[in-house]
Amino acid sequence: MSKRSKKSDRWVGQSMIRVDGDGKVRGRTQYLNDIPYKGVWQGVVVRTPVAHGILKAVTLDPAFDWSQVVVATAEDIPGENIVHMHDRTMPLLAAVGGEIKYRGEPVAVVAAPTLALAQEAARHITVTADELPALLTLPEAIKIYKSAPKKFDTMQSKRIVKGDVAKGFALADEIITGEYWAGHQEQLYLENQGVVVFPQQDGSIWAEGSLQCPYFPVHELNDALRLPPEKIRVRQTPVGGAFGGKEEYPTMLIGYAALPALKSGKPVKITYERNEDILFTPKRHPVWVRYKTGVKKDGTFTAIECDFVIDGGAYLTISDVVMFRGILHCALAYRCENVIVRGEVARTHSFPSGAFRGFGAPQAVWGMESHLDVVAARLGKKPDELRLQLHARPGDITPTGQVLSSENGSTACLQLALKRSDFARKLKESSRGRLKRGQQKLRGIGMSFFGHGAAFTGDGEANFKAKGRVELALLEDGQPGVNIRVSSVEMGQGVHTVLTQIVADAMQIGPERIRYPMADTGLVPNSGPTVASRTTMVVGNVVHRAAGDLKAQLEAFAAEKFFKGKACELRTGKFVVKGTRAIPFAKVAQAMLTECQNISGKFEFLLPPEIQWDQGTFVGDAYPGYSWGVNIAEVEVDALTCEVAVKRVAAVFDIGTVINPVSASGQVEGGLTQALGYTIMEKLGTGKDGLYDATRLQTYIIPTILDVPEFDVSFVEYPYSFAPPGAKGLGEIPMDGLAPAIANAIAAATGRRINQIPITPEVIYQALHADSKGTP
Amino acid sequence: MSNVQRTWTINGKQTKLRFPPGRRLLDILRDDLGLTGSKESCGEGECGACTVLVNKEPVVSCILPAGQLVNGTDILTIEGIEKKRIGRVIQQAFLECGAVQCGFCIPGMVVAAYALLIKNPKPSVRAIREALAGNLCRCTGYTKIIQAVKLAATRMPQRK
Ligand code: FES
Ligand code: FES
Repeated sequence: MSKRSKKSDRWVGQSMIRVDGDGKVRGRTQYLNDIPYKGVWQGVVVRTPVAHGILKAVTLDPAFDWSQVVVATAEDIPGENIVHMHDRTMPLLAAVGGEIKYRGEPVAVVAAPTLALAQEAARHITVTADELPALLTLPEAIKIYKSAPKKFDTMQSKRIVKGDVAKGFALADEIITGEYWAGHQEQLYLENQGVVVFPQQDGSIWAEGSLQCPYFPVHELNDALRLPPEKIRVRQTPVGGAFGGKEEYPTMLIGYAALPALKSGKPVKITYERNEDILFTPKRHPVWVRYKTGVKKDGTFTAIECDFVIDGGAYLTISDVVMFRGILHCALAYRCENVIVRGEVARTHSFPSGAFRGFGAPQAVWGMESHLDVVAARLGKKPDELRLQLHARPGDITPTGQVLSSENGSTACLQLALKRSDFARKLKESSRGRLKRGQQKLRGIGMSFFGHGAAFTGDGEANFKAKGRVELALLEDGQPGVNIRVSSVEMGQGVHTVLTQIVADAMQIGPERIRYPMADTGLVPNSGPTVASRTTMVVGNVVHRAAGDLKAQLEAFAAEKFFKGKACELRTGKFVVKGTRAIPFAKVAQAMLTECQNISGKFEFLLPPEIQWDQGTFVGDAYPGYSWGVNIAEVEVDALTCEVAVKRVAAVFDIGTVINPVSASGQVEGGLTQALGYTIMEKLGTGKDGLYDATRLQTYIIPTILDVPEFDVSFVEYPYSFAPPGAKGLGEIPMDGLAPAIANAIAAATGRRINQIPITPEVIYQALHADSKGTP
Repeated sequence: MSNVQRTWTINGKQTKLRFPPGRRLLDILRDDLGLTGSKESCGEGECGACTVLVNKEPVVSCILPAGQLVNGTDILTIEGIEKKRIGRVIQQAFLECGAVQCGFCIPGMVVAAYALLIKNPKPSVRAIREALAGNLCRCTGYTKIIQAVKLAATRMPQRK
């Protein structure tokens, strides 16, 4: 499988074995806690005991021996006490006299030569606070949103408006409303969070850790640490899973570790153990979404009105963009002339919510795709037929006014998924709450259809201009090859492998001559964070072009030095000119390395000029391209225990060019499994004490190998031609659509619509034993 | 509590150790012996990342007080697995099937798969699922892990 198939001379499209696989199967890959650092102190975070209040004092026990310990509080912050994420409101540490806004907000960091001593010292610090009333949950916030909108505390609002919904509702034969809820979800990467910060002689810091976005801390801690970007250097260690959980949060950890490190001059490492990682790192935003839809008898939408409110927690961090992505997906997938979507980020006294695979889109798709089945049921239409009738396709105009391009496999996804799952027949056979004789389980099938905007929202990529470099170098064997220099992080998703494949094709050299060192801001240009399903599409294009640039430089050099000025071409590892003997890559590269310095190809990503976006009005081209998907779930519900088993999932995606089929289907299976957990297992709320109510793996239950259904994964390829090799987003879309597909299947099985996830057996029991009002 | 002394066979090598009897086997492997292939994720026996073989049985080493293991105990970790033919077969199958993503669960998975295949060289899918039920993976959705174990089973040496 690692060999290119004979038929193709390209690596793109082949299931090349992952370049980082060998170290991982042999247990040789060194994650942060496996690296034998010498002389590193261990840091422990001391936290607030209340969710809301005024911090009175942080007191060190005078009876304790503090001589071997360093304690940093807000007073030790070299600069302004602010972490600069999407706004400038959040302190690095809560300060005495200041407001505590969530339970567990850090107030001090203790570091000592051993973890045991640091923990012991932390226990001798008393944090006192005057408690104030707290608003802890989204349902409390929504109560205010509905009853006293002026009092609703929002951190960010945004509207999308298309046409005129009042007119649309006037044209409707029926108006159908629905409200849908989803709770928190924990990323549960198996490797817990961790960083180590090395203070440098010149006052700068060097941080290493398990993180997705090496450049974030470089630009977010400048105020607090009073260090310019070039004095904060960040390098990734191998990442044992992230899923968004190591997007914005590692900035905080680096900030925490930097304080005692700068104060003491010692390197300081902070790693969380599982319990602390679950309790005190960001989660997926809980959501409440309300749809009011006007429909004609024939199924056409005349108006879609949507309220989309997420629980941002105590500080904005990155929640504005999560909400933006959410509202951009609330009415993306269906034709409708009149749309209004209102997005809000509710402020609560809970831990700030954060990035998690999908970034608002799964919450939006959960609402829309549940609601679409409600609409279908009301109109007496089949869910598959209604989707085939209404789904967005090339030439259609999205709620922001974007015309969908022809590089769009939405229809193909629907047709293929319906066929592969035998949907129509199985829908007819669904139980609808009635057990046939001899049956113990209710059976049902359900579907969802959705798009996912690939890359940064709006003009993000246009403004950002992702940069990357492919450089000629001597590899560890002393022979020439190339290094890929980008800031995209390998976190399991396979970027080291797929970008290697892309460069192999663009350079026309074998992947064994290509290296992709760990991202280090001291060595790589900023190609952006490893987020937003943007890496293969955007950074893949950057390295494709940069490799092309380097190849052209090599060809020019070879022409001059080896072919008497005749133009030559580097093809499958050799420089060729018709009629002369080919010269191997290594020979030319070696000669060029001897003669020239800093030989590299570069590229900066641009968007086509016709892409236009107005961030103020949310009008224009919201994303450079869209991936599309259909999920179809088959479930069995035990009529007695109310347990749900998902038996089979058919999933079809258009992600543009599939660079590595095995790796791509692995992304899909993994994402679907996270979505399975989100839908029926992973329950996480905020308790009365302001802490999450599941705190360990014994209480926060994720899917095991016994829970996964049979997956039938396929791709249809509608490449993004502007950015060869034509990939669109893949990382997140597998997380987007399974929840409503399962809920719709449960409705087909039980005859009951459930409008909240997770759908635990208790929820099903209540639905089955409640009276039938409010169900389709 | 005073230290105890034990002599075990770790990855085929006789190893003499002194440690407090309550010390976790995982800490002895990782911190005392530098065998960091076994991972810690939950530290409470729920995830299987720390799985090693003790006398050919898979155990979660993060909750095992090492003092319980008597002299002569045979311990096999991921570092020792690759020296076994079946171990290499399993590792190769994981690579070929794309069963590895972030890799953090993988040492535990490979060890658990090894424990299964040395006892049951032709396992059913059901048996594979049961053998790996204590090993969480957040990345792969398990499907390719099952495929990998199936593929490894087809390549098992005829005689042990
Ligand atoms: S770390 Fe041992 S079972 Fe999780
Ligand atoms: S590969 Fe990441 S947890 Fe299994």
